[in-house]
Amino acid sequence: MMRRIVGTAYFGLLVLATGCDGWQTPSGPPAAIDAELRQSLSRWGTVPIGPTPAQPPALVDLGQALMFDKVLSGNRDIACATCHSPASHAADGLALSIGTGGSGLGPSRTLGPGRQFIPRNAPTLVNAGLGAFYLFWDGRVSGNSFGFQTPAGTALPPGLPNILAAQAMFPVMNRDEMRGARGDHDRFGNPNELAEFADSDFVLVWQAVMRRLLAIPEYVSKFNAAFPGTPTSELGFQHAATAIAAFETQALTHTDSPFDRYLQHDDAALTAEQKRGALLFFGDKARCASCHGGPLLGGQNFANAGVPQLGPGVGSGAPLDLGRGELLNQEFYKFAFRATPLRNVELTAPYMHDGAFPTLEAVLQHYNDVPRALRQYDASQLPPALQPMYHGEDATIAAVLTNLDGRLTQPLNLSDVEIRELVAFLKSLTDPAAQDLTSLIPARVPSGLPVQE
Amino acid sequence: MTSRVVSLSVVLWTVAGMASAQSIPIQTVPLVPADQFDIFPSFTLALGGASIALPDTLHDPFVNPAKGARIRGARFFSSPTFYSVSRDAGAGRTLPLGALAPAGTWFGGLALALQQVDASRVASPFTGAPPPGVFATSVADLGASPQSHSNALAFAMIGTTLPGSDLSLGGSVSWAKLRALDGVDLLYPGSKRVDQSGETFDARLGVLKEWAGDRSFEAIVLHERFRMTHEVTFLDVFWDPGSQQFLQSPRLERNRDFSKRWGVQVKYERPLAASEWRIGWLATANRISQPNTPNSDLLNIPQDPGRATAYELGVGVSRTYGPSVFGMDLVYQPIWSTTWAVAQTPTATTSGGSIPVGGRTIENGFHFSNALVRMGVSREVTLGPLTRTVALQLGLAVRSVHYNLAQQDNVEVVTRHLEESWLEWTPTWGLSFRFPELELRYRGRVTHGTDRLVATPNQFIANPLIDVAPGFFPPPGSSMTLDGVHVITHQFSVSLPLR
Repeated sequence: MMRRIVGTAYFGLLVLATGCDGWQTPSGPPAAIDAELRQSLSRWGTVPIGPTPAQPPALVDLGQALMFDKVLSGNRDIACATCHSPASHAADGLALSIGTGGSGLGPSRTLGPGRQFIPRNAPTLVNAGLGAFYLFWDGRVSGNSFGFQTPAGTALPPGLPNILAAQAMFPVMNRDEMRGARGDHDRFGNPNELAEFADSDFVLVWQAVMRRLLAIPEYVSKFNAAFPGTPTSELGFQHAATAIAAFETQALTHTDSPFDRYLQHDDAALTAEQKRGALLFFGDKARCASCHGGPLLGGQNFANAGVPQLGPGVGSGAPLDLGRGELLNQEFYKFAFRATPLRNVELTAPYMHDGAFPTLEAVLQHYNDVPRALRQYDASQLPPALQPMYHGEDATIAAVLTNLDGRLTQPLNLSDVEIRELVAFLKSLTDPAAQDLTSLIPARVPSGLPVQE
Repeated sequence: MTSRVVSLSVVLWTVAGMASAQSIPIQTVPLVPADQFDIFPSFTLALGGASIALPDTLHDPFVNPAKGARIRGARFFSSPTFYSVSRDAGAGRTLPLGALAPAGTWFGGLALALQQVDASRVASPFTGAPPPGVFATSVADLGASPQSHSNALAFAMIGTTLPGSDLSLGGSVSWAKLRALDGVDLLYPGSKRVDQSGETFDARLGVLKEWAGDRSFEAIVLHERFRMTHEVTFLDVFWDPGSQQFLQSPRLERNRDFSKRWGVQVKYERPLAASEWRIGWLATANRISQPNTPNSDLLNIPQDPGRATAYELGVGVSRTYGPSVFGMDLVYQPIWSTTWAVAQTPTATTSGGSIPVGGRTIENGFHFSNALVRMGVSREVTLGPLTRTVALQLGLAVRSVHYNLAQQDNVEVVTRHLEESWLEWTPTWGLSFRFPELELRYRGRVTHGTDRLVATPNQFIANPLIDVAPGFFPPPGSSMTLDGVHVITHQFSVSLPLR
């Protein structure tokens, strides 16, 4: 009897063993946050940033002078650093920037008589030299060291070493930002010769700016030191732009944040809260990395994030801002703007292309349920001067939502705790060295124009 | 089996030594350990491993050196052993050569083995050529990791039977110079090459007391040391702002895997009444300390130490009825294990406190309740003269692993609980030919219910709404999944008298 029982049991097990192909095994102990996070980082190609090559000192010196010198502007009243001030982390702290004619610096800067706001927020130049494929909110300057696309088309001079140098060619062309309007006079009452050229006369404007610069002996010396193999007669604005880009790259690259140290395999660089936030950021719930992925955490794509419309507007869409959709043959990207690289984002409020949100928490609350947040946007959070310029009409909101990025049509359902964790992660992107950049402000510039005005 | 993304915080994977019967394995995930050290000739391993109440003359001295007393004549043996893991997830082959011999009241044995272990992974997305999107490499070619490594193993045993007492004493040492442990390379996904080096050492003392009526008692005390160093070279992809390209740079990580084990086992066997049945009882205790475990992104906890106390209680029966043999073991393994992670830098807790350097950030308390059932049958058929026989064996081993984990996270100040269980099924089979001048055996087994870690490359997740710039595709990474595999082992053994 016992023999029969044993035999039955044995052969029963044997049949079971040989017949199974769907072995169920467990998943193991609770997920290790670092292991999970590193896999998520790998998924989005978020890899460390390598060292930035040192720029030639003479080139950086020239670039610093140009960056802070208002002689580049038609009315000699605004420099690149006015809207990209080291005191405001290479931005201006304003929702919408104030160009030529304005007065003051940083968040306290005010409009000049008869002037209007720049339609868009001044993005920070911190880490602009890392090589994002697109620059400007609408990405109208794009490319890499193999070639660029710019509004100047074939008028763009050769020899520009990188996209940042290509970008630096264009603020001097913009009437609201630096060039001024026809009939303007500069701060000394002299006619603004730069403003007299047509908007399509790229080469003439650049040549005129260079005439101003090379009329200053100190600039001639600095250009000759920066470009020793180039005769003065052959210097063009592309050389100035190259120097500005070199200064930005040398002085404004800050990639030693806790998150960067984490990418370098220092697991202790992030707090537990920051890691949970990072998991949300790179995970499937918040999905931030689907736009802000890659090594730069953004900079290579566009999205209509349903941002409230604000300001004077741009081009044919005015008073709305169609973003990249305003560019030729880019209608698909109506209301879409560049997903900005996020390192040091903590320092560069207000946020989005028009500064509609004063805090990171407000940005994340918006992303948590974009349709609802857009419909319920509270314009009172804007500076008083901008509140009348908020376009909260139903038709505008409907137009924005019609083309809303597909990833944002449904609520993310992030809890308050998760939003706090995401904010904690975003703050881990701050390089302490970027907290105070005021040492970059020179005491004087070759033109003798005031630097801190 | 459906692939599952790995989510592991702790993997206890205590490696069994060369003679594993007294080393209680501890695993918290069903990662297949393969059969790398299961190399000596055995009769019972074809019977599902049922061995508590079944003698295994040629194999028993490797477990308890005092059992060398049962060797009746000098014998030479060899047992070429081959294992392979499905899905090309590993393979190995071993050629042991040895001899066991009595000399008066003394007995002894010597065995040597050479082993070749294949890599457990095929070329990963990060080996060989740079991954798509990575335009150049900033380092010289490091060369691919060799696909096979060689190990050398040695075993020596000596013992004596005290005259007139039926009491035998024996001692043995085994040592292996290791260049590869099966599956280790899988712990480092994305690495360019993994160079292992280390050794394992096992020393044991055994005693065997036999009484009239075929009763016996045996005891073993063992000590094992295992030490491996993993030199892991990664080629890290990074974004080079200067060239605005993805480049690679080498990074070397050196990890140590070190464990010590003390063990004791007692076993008593006797016939069951006046029948063909025998019964045996077994009790084992192990104390394991693991001051270092490999540090990989996968295992995550850097250099986490741990210790465990493992027990084993078993009962076995066997019946020899003419040419037929049946054996069955029932074994229960209660195990308590603690592992912890240590803060490398002062670590803030969510409650506002701080954990100093060296303080514990995570403490894992495992309680295992494992069970094994091993059973098998053998049937011998006489070929012509009575001295020529052929025997067929079939067997099955079922191992149930069940554990509860209480994980105290001292950083987040929370306690998590987890309960896990799985089954491993191992059908076995064997065929023996016995002639007066030699004995030939074949045994095989296949283990189901275990997994291997597989690196799955992630392609960039394209979104039609994203205007991805040419030349700016982030390089694909890889994620780890657990894929179900089975391990097949074949062993051919020959033994013949030396005189």
